[in-house]
Amino acid sequence: MKFKDYYEILGLARSATQDEVKHAYRKLARKYHPDVSKDPDAEARFKELGEAYAVLKDPEKRAAYDQMGSQWKAGQDFQPPPGWDTGFEFSGGDFGAGPGGEHSDFFEALFGRHFGTGQRGHMRAQGQDHHAKVQIDLLDAYRGAQRSIALRMPMLDAQGRVALQERKLDVSIPKGIRAGQHLRLAGQGAPGLGGGAAGDLYLEIAFKPDPKFRADGRDVYANLPLAPWEAALGAAVMAPTPEGPVRLTIPPGSVAGRQLRLKGRGIPGTPPGDLYVVLTIALPPADSETAREAYRAMAAAFDFNPRQALEE
Amino acid sequence: MNPIAMTYIEGPVVEEEVCFTLVELCQACSAEQEHMLTWVFEGVLEPVGSSPQDWRFSGESLRRARLALRLSQDLEINPPGVALALDLLDEIAALRARLQRAGVR
Repeated sequence: MKFKDYYEILGLARSATQDEVKHAYRKLARKYHPDVSKDPDAEARFKELGEAYAVLKDPEKRAAYDQMGSQWKAGQDFQPPPGWDTGFEFSGGDFGAGPGGEHSDFFEALFGRHFGTGQRGHMRAQGQDHHAKVQIDLLDAYRGAQRSIALRMPMLDAQGRVALQERKLDVSIPKGIRAGQHLRLAGQGAPGLGGGAAGDLYLEIAFKPDPKFRADGRDVYANLPLAPWEAALGAAVMAPTPEGPVRLTIPPGSVAGRQLRLKGRGIPGTPPGDLYVVLTIALPPADSETAREAYRAMAAAFDFNPRQALEE
Repeated sequence: MNPIAMTYIEGPVVEEEVCFTLVELCQACSAEQEHMLTWVFEGVLEPVGSSPQDWRFSGESLRRARLALRLSQDLEINPPGVALALDLLDEIAALRARLQRAGVR
């Protein structure tokens, strides 16, 4: 297990006041909140911040953490010294404090694995609804699909400790579903209490990154590279669509960035989305004498100044 | 395993086929009713219906309510701040979509 320097994570000196802890956390949390930040590490950073804050904002936990001493460095191999927490009385209850709920091994070694929210006695209650994100292929939205997905879910065991349980769900992906939409699977959430009904499971759909296609709502975009002469003179070329290539007529005088709309070839639905083919121009390399000669011939043939607009 | 014998769980697409009562939306988000009332007051959520008992929230409300809940809990933002953040996030999403349409990744 590696030692975590919660002060370093929040960019604070060990002498920071409680107000400074709060201030530092809020500022960094806004920056790295996964709903706000597009940083690929945002989620991990945000979890780390939440954990650091859960310890340092709580005077009891902070004092216990502090008394392990300042000789530890982040990333060092660490075992809590025996009896490190003797003499501390935790008022308890608030252990699940940080957002996200799932803490590092380091945190759990120090403060235990508990759920913040206790059971609500023995009353009859519907189980909690759960949420999970799943990635599907764009083509699954075009055709509908049946997929087995693996979900990891924190569950309470008999001792009230949290254990990650993996379970497999076989799910029908309906044709026409779009990124950001949710599927509701009735009764697949947490079990009910005292004979109450189980909660539901909501699956948020995202598309796996695709090298050729990008979806925007129902519409799908694809880049189509053209040779300069195809763009200038017009051509019939094969253009990719998620359901396979189609023959596409490129009008003469096409410029890079022009979008050709293939109506109804986006994600199916009522109405279906459209597929936009975005033209790009690819230049052939001047890597042979013949090729260089061809470029020289073009230079001689055109009275063309690509920087005209800059000179005006 | 015989693929024909497997049963696949089906469920409605929330944004297209589901609308929530106040109680259902609270259950789906694990949120308190008073949170929802505040966000309706701030315009974060716009149910149809005249009184909280009659309110019907669109399927899209699920995403907005969960986002509002996360922002208020994780960042300790007050309700008007949550409303502002959601508007700005919507605007950023629209601008990002425009960039993406133009081919900028």
